[in-house]
Amino acid sequence: MEETISNLILGFSTAFTPTNLFYALAGCLIGTMVGVLPGVGPLAGISILLPTTFGLNATSAIILLAGIYYGAMYGGSTTSILMRIPGEAASVITCMDGYAMAQKGRAGPALAIAAIGSYIAGTLSVLGLMFLAPPLARFALGFGPPEYFSLLLCGLIVLSYMTGGSIVKNLAMIVLGLLFGMIGIDQMTGYFRFAYGLVELGDGIGIVPVAVGLFGISEILATAGQSEKREVLKPKLRDLLPSKEEFRASLFPIGRGTLLGFLIGIIPGSAHIISTFVSYAIERKLSKHPERFGHGAIEGVAGPESANNAASEGALVPMLALGVPTGPIPAVLLAALMVHGINPGPLFIKEQPAIFWGLIASMYLGNLVLLLLNLPLVGLFVNFLRVPYRILYPTILMFCIVGVYAVNSSVVDVGIMTIMGVIGYLLRKMDFETAPIVLGVVLAPILEFSFRQALAMSSGDYRVFIERPISLAFLMLALTMILLALRSLIGKKKDWRDRLTEAERKI
Amino acid sequence: MDMTKDRWSGTILVLLGIFVVWERRVLPLGTHSQPGPGYFPLLLALLLIIFGGILIFQGRSSRSIRSISWKESPHAVAILGCCVFATLFLERIGYRITMIALLGFLFGILERMRLWLVLSLTLGLALGTFWVFDTLLKVPLPRGKWGF
Repeated sequence: MEETISNLILGFSTAFTPTNLFYALAGCLIGTMVGVLPGVGPLAGISILLPTTFGLNATSAIILLAGIYYGAMYGGSTTSILMRIPGEAASVITCMDGYAMAQKGRAGPALAIAAIGSYIAGTLSVLGLMFLAPPLARFALGFGPPEYFSLLLCGLIVLSYMTGGSIVKNLAMIVLGLLFGMIGIDQMTGYFRFAYGLVELGDGIGIVPVAVGLFGISEILATAGQSEKREVLKPKLRDLLPSKEEFRASLFPIGRGTLLGFLIGIIPGSAHIISTFVSYAIERKLSKHPERFGHGAIEGVAGPESANNAASEGALVPMLALGVPTGPIPAVLLAALMVHGINPGPLFIKEQPAIFWGLIASMYLGNLVLLLLNLPLVGLFVNFLRVPYRILYPTILMFCIVGVYAVNSSVVDVGIMTIMGVIGYLLRKMDFETAPIVLGVVLAPILEFSFRQALAMSSGDYRVFIERPISLAFLMLALTMILLALRSLIGKKKDWRDRLTEAERKI
Repeated sequence: MDMTKDRWSGTILVLLGIFVVWERRVLPLGTHSQPGPGYFPLLLALLLIIFGGILIFQGRSSRSIRSISWKESPHAVAILGCCVFATLFLERIGYRITMIALLGFLFGILERMRLWLVLSLTLGLALGTFWVFDTLLKVPLPRGKWGF
C-alpha cells in the first residue's frame, strides 16, 4: 500500500507539470470532438492523431493519446442523447433513454448524469487499474514462450467469441489479420515474406494504416452521399442540473455500471459495447418500473455510460501489465507506446514507473477535466454536429491521409490505407467484423515468435503447450469459448451474442 | 446453388488461403523443432481455407448477395479515386497541391458547392493542415519537385 502511494505521488509529480496538464486537457477536448463527430471513431481518431505526438516525450505523448481515448468514449454519448446517433459503438444503448429524455426536455440532466457517471466510473476504475496491473505484471514475469503463445491465442479466441455475430467469421478475420502481420522481414531468419519487392514493407504493414483504412476510410466510403437531415436538440446551460430524484435514481446504476464495466473491460472483445448492454439489462431487471425503460429512464443512461467508461480503463489493465491488447483501441495505444520506445509488458511498470504512474495520475486529472469542461462546452460540441456531412467527410479524408503519411513519411502507407479501406467496406457489406483484423495484425509477430520459440525449446513437441499448467489453463479457456459458440451454431438457438447483434441493428 | 453472402465470402477466403499456400512455397518450412519462415503462414492459410469452407458449407441460410445495397457506390468510387490519386501524387507534386486538387474535386465537383465556399475550404484546409503538421508540429510533409 505504501509503495502504491509513493508511486502515485511520483505519478502526480510527473503529470502535474504545466506541459502535461496542457496535453491532458488538449487530449480530452480533442477526444470529445472525435467522439462527437460522426465518421471518426476513437480508433481512427487516435490513429490519425498519432503523428502529432512524435515531437513530444513519451510521457506527454501517452497522456495526450489516453486523453483522446477517454474523451472520445465520453463524447459519443452527446450525439446519442441529442440526435439519437451514437458517436461510437459503445453509445448505442444510450440512444434509447437518453434521446427519449431529450425529447421530454430533459437533455441537460441526461448529459449531466452521463458526465457524472463517466467521471465516477473513470476515477474508480483508475483505482482498480492501479491496484490490479502491478501484481498481474509480477505474475506474468514467470511466463515463458508457451504461456505467452497460449495467452495470446486465448485472447484472440475470447475476442472472436465476445465480438458477437458468427464466431467462424470472427476467427477468419483474426486469421486474415495474422496473415497481414506476416508481411515483411521474418524476425528470426531475416527472410522477406510476401513483400513483392517493396522495401517499405520490410518492417511489415503498420497498425495505423490498417486501423485508419478499416475504420476511417471504410466508414467514409459507406456513408458518403447520405441524406443530411439531422435534428439537433440544444440544451440550455441552466437546464443541465438533474433533480434530486434523478440523482438518487442514478446512484446505484452508476455503482453497478462501474464494477461491471471494469470487469468486462479486462476481457478481450468489444468490452465497451457488451458492458453497456449488460448494464442496461441489469438496470431494467432491477427496476420497480421496467416499463419506463426506452421512454426516458435516467437509470438507462447512468448505468451504461458508467459501464462504458469503466470498461475503457479496465481494457488498459492487460495492455499495460501483460503487453496484450484486448481490443483494437488498446492495440493502437500499444503501437503508439512502441513508437515512443516503450514496450508495455511485465517489465514496463518496474522499469518505467514514471510513465506508468504518470499515466495513472493523468487519468484522474483527465476524468476531472472531462467533467468540468464538457458540460459547459456542450453548446460548442453541438455546433460541430451542425457541420454538413458533405463538408465533414472530405475533411476527415484529408486528416486520414496526412495522419497515415506522417507516421513513416511513406506513400506506401497511404496505399495500404486505401486497400484496407476497400477491404473494410466490402467486409461490412458481407456482415464481417473488422476489429479482429486489427488485433491480428498487432499480435502476429509476438504470436509467431512465441510459437516458434516454444517449439524450439521443446524440440518440436506440441505437448509443451499442455504440459505447463498456466498454458493449459489458457488453452482450456479458449476451448470453452469455442464450445460455447459451437453450441449455438449446432443447436441453431440464439445466444446472448445474437441477441446483442440484433439489438444493435434495431437501434 | 444460391449465392449467399456467406458462400461468396467463404469462397473468397478459400481462394485467398490457396493463394497464400502457393505464394509460401518460396519460403522454407523448416522442421517442427526449428520452424522456418513459411511454417506459421502455412498454418494460417490452412486455417483460412477451413473457415472459408465452413462458411460455404453452412452459408445457405445467410442473406442473398443480391440484397446488398450499393446506392452509395458512385460516391465511394470517387472517394476511392481520391485516395489512389493521393497515393500516386503526394510525393511527386507535394502535399499542398495534392490536397488542393483532392479537396477541390470533392467539394466542387462531387458535392457541387458554391465557388467561394469551395475555394475557402480547399485553400484553408490544405494550407492550414500543412502549417499545423509541417511548421508547427515539425512533422515533415512532402513538398514535390517545385519545393511547394
